Amino acid sequence: MSTHSLHFFDRVDTALHDETLRTALNRATARFVGNRSGAIGALSDADTLRDQARAIRAHALSRLDELLVRLAERVEARGGRVCWASDGEEARRYIAELARSRGVRSIVKSKSMASEEIHLNEALERAGVEVVETDLGEYIIQIAGETPSHIIAPAIHKTREQISALFEQHLGMPPTTEVPPMIRAARQALRQRFLRADMGISGVNFGIADEGAVVIVENEGNARLTTSVPRIHVAIMGIERIVERLEDLGVMLQVLARSATGQKLSVYTSIISGPARPGEADGPEEFHLVLLDNGRSQILGGQYAEALMCIRCGACLNACPVYQSIGGHAYGGVYSGPIGAILTPLLQPDLPDNYLLPYASSLCGACQEVCPVRIAIPDLLLRLRADAVRAGKFHPIEKPAIQSYAAMMNNPALYRVGGKFARLGTRLLRRKGRIRRLPPPLHLWTRGRDFPALPAQTFSEWWEERERQRHNG
Amino acid sequence: MSRDQILANLRTSLASNRSWLEKEASAAPHAAPPFVHPPAANLVAQFSAELAKLEGRTYPVADAEEALEVIGRLLDEREARQVIAWDLEQIDLSGLPALLAARGVSVLDARVHGAARKERLQTLEPVSVCLSGVDCAIAESGTLVLRHGPGRPRLASLLAPTHIAVAHRSQLVRGLGEALAFLRERYGAALFDPTSHLTFISGPSRTADIEMTLSLGIHGPPEVHVVVL
Ligand code: SF4
Repeated sequence: MSTHSLHFFDRVDTALHDETLRTALNRATARFVGNRSGAIGALSDADTLRDQARAIRAHALSRLDELLVRLAERVEARGGRVCWASDGEEARRYIAELARSRGVRSIVKSKSMASEEIHLNEALERAGVEVVETDLGEYIIQIAGETPSHIIAPAIHKTREQISALFEQHLGMPPTTEVPPMIRAARQALRQRFLRADMGISGVNFGIADEGAVVIVENEGNARLTTSVPRIHVAIMGIERIVERLEDLGVMLQVLARSATGQKLSVYTSIISGPARPGEADGPEEFHLVLLDNGRSQILGGQYAEALMCIRCGACLNACPVYQSIGGHAYGGVYSGPIGAILTPLLQPDLPDNYLLPYASSLCGACQEVCPVRIAIPDLLLRLRADAVRAGKFHPIEKPAIQSYAAMMNNPALYRVGGKFARLGTRLLRRKGRIRRLPPPLHLWTRGRDFPALPAQTFSEWWEERERQRHNG
Repeated sequence: MSRDQILANLRTSLASNRSWLEKEASAAPHAAPPFVHPPAANLVAQFSAELAKLEGRTYPVADAEEALEVIGRLLDEREARQVIAWDLEQIDLSGLPALLAARGVSVLDARVHGAARKERLQTLEPVSVCLSGVDCAIAESGTLVLRHGPGRPRLASLLAPTHIAVAHRSQLVRGLGEALAFLRERYGAALFDPTSHLTFISGPSRTADIEMTLSLGIHGPPEVHVVVL
């Protein structure tokens, strides 16, 4: 089911009432969190490595113009072609036109957040080309007609029964609750797609300016097949995803794999520089690199530039108590979790209820704590909230609510009277010490959370009493 | 043109944020550590333990003869008649061509390009064993480093369900940083001249996309065997 047409609050409601999703999310995020902390903890000097990762990303961003030019020149020198795309439209047009001019009928894709950001699949399908996602999780949600719910594990919201039903329908597999036959069925079906494909489209984890190369990390081998088997390889890269030297990978890959899945290195890291050279046995005959800006060059100049250091490891998602409860779909954009709450309003400013995403955080700081490049996520979220308010984006109830709150806080007598009413009210509404639904307009707050009944005695009453007793006693 | 527009935007943006970014960039050294775990005395044992955690197998052998025995057994168990392989002289194991010939195992032509691409791929698809050498191997992560190129097809570690790799003790390095330094020292700026492709392989293909259950071999080889001599 697509929840994208719904308002943010409704998407959150939907997610919170989906028991399957919540169980899967709890299980997956707990596993990722455990794996990550085990792997980071085992490092000789994790703190230094993370400082280094941040410094390397900052260096690359500080010379982004120069490094992109170098990358593009070197890709071209090796026989590749480069498309500089200002926005999704230009990227889509380039790839669709390439597919048309080369007579491409079928495309295999490995995971690429950038391609989802620009809704590439829909555009290619409209152009009459068949596009198959080949990462197992992405494939499952593609045949289910859904969108990813997690950066690293896109189909965690699906149960094995649901997946078996999908495979029965799409691959003719006999129903099963065993995972191995499902894996075999998917391997077989997708293998033929690879061998018949005319074009492979991949994402990019890092561009390497000096080598004119792109780095792709993965665990399944679908990205290796995507970039090795078809005649044409198209790699799509957000312009910020660059490092200067091959040697920088000695830091970046270490923190990426550990933060993402707790692995020391991902199973496969491919470093690809242009098309196959003459004399090489295999590999694509054409290599195209799409450099996608889509707002990034502007972000670099503002107060959110730090978000461009992100290496999409997903650690902040797993660590986030809000994400753990609502999952990826509720965020409505391609990027979810704490970093998604920053990137989506910046990269997809047209989504109407975007300004609410920075509120999907308790500002507990767990995200910044785990981020391998130490992005000050809570800080950026607060700034986005302030921006939204300045732009007049807030619920109509918020202004009078905050104003009366301010008035009350500035006037002790008013505060005391207000507090009495609130206590009385919450005690009338409580069930087992909690309130499931506050009366309007406060019901907005209790959608998806309980409100505690206020205690009979306030802190100041308690304090006064205590002082009284002390003086008397 | 979009290129010029993007570059112009970047330069405008950097005019306000470059000094902050440069400060961040100088807050820590960039040079990668040679390794990130406490180093082990015995690299073969460390490599083998790490690969075992990833469900791959290591066969430390004393000499070429023993290496050939292991490879022969692996081929027999899989009833391999054909393999996808690096050019045998690139694998650096004397006696390998004779071993394959004696068993009637042929090395398929893995040149996949031009008009015959799809047809050749279909011929290679049923093959059960891939055979390759390595450029180096990383002990602390159980990783094989393969630089592809002429005589070294990338499909020879990818397509078939079993990948057998031959490594020498002298090719073991401690960590990723050391592996990258080794590649640089050996190939210099020409690293990507004769090839477009470098791969790091840490164990068998894996996925946890169905209910977080670990499964091997979804796309790449479910079996990785490394013979170390
Ligand atoms: S913000 Fe940090 S933790 Fe979150 S995905 Fe990006 S790099 Fe990972």
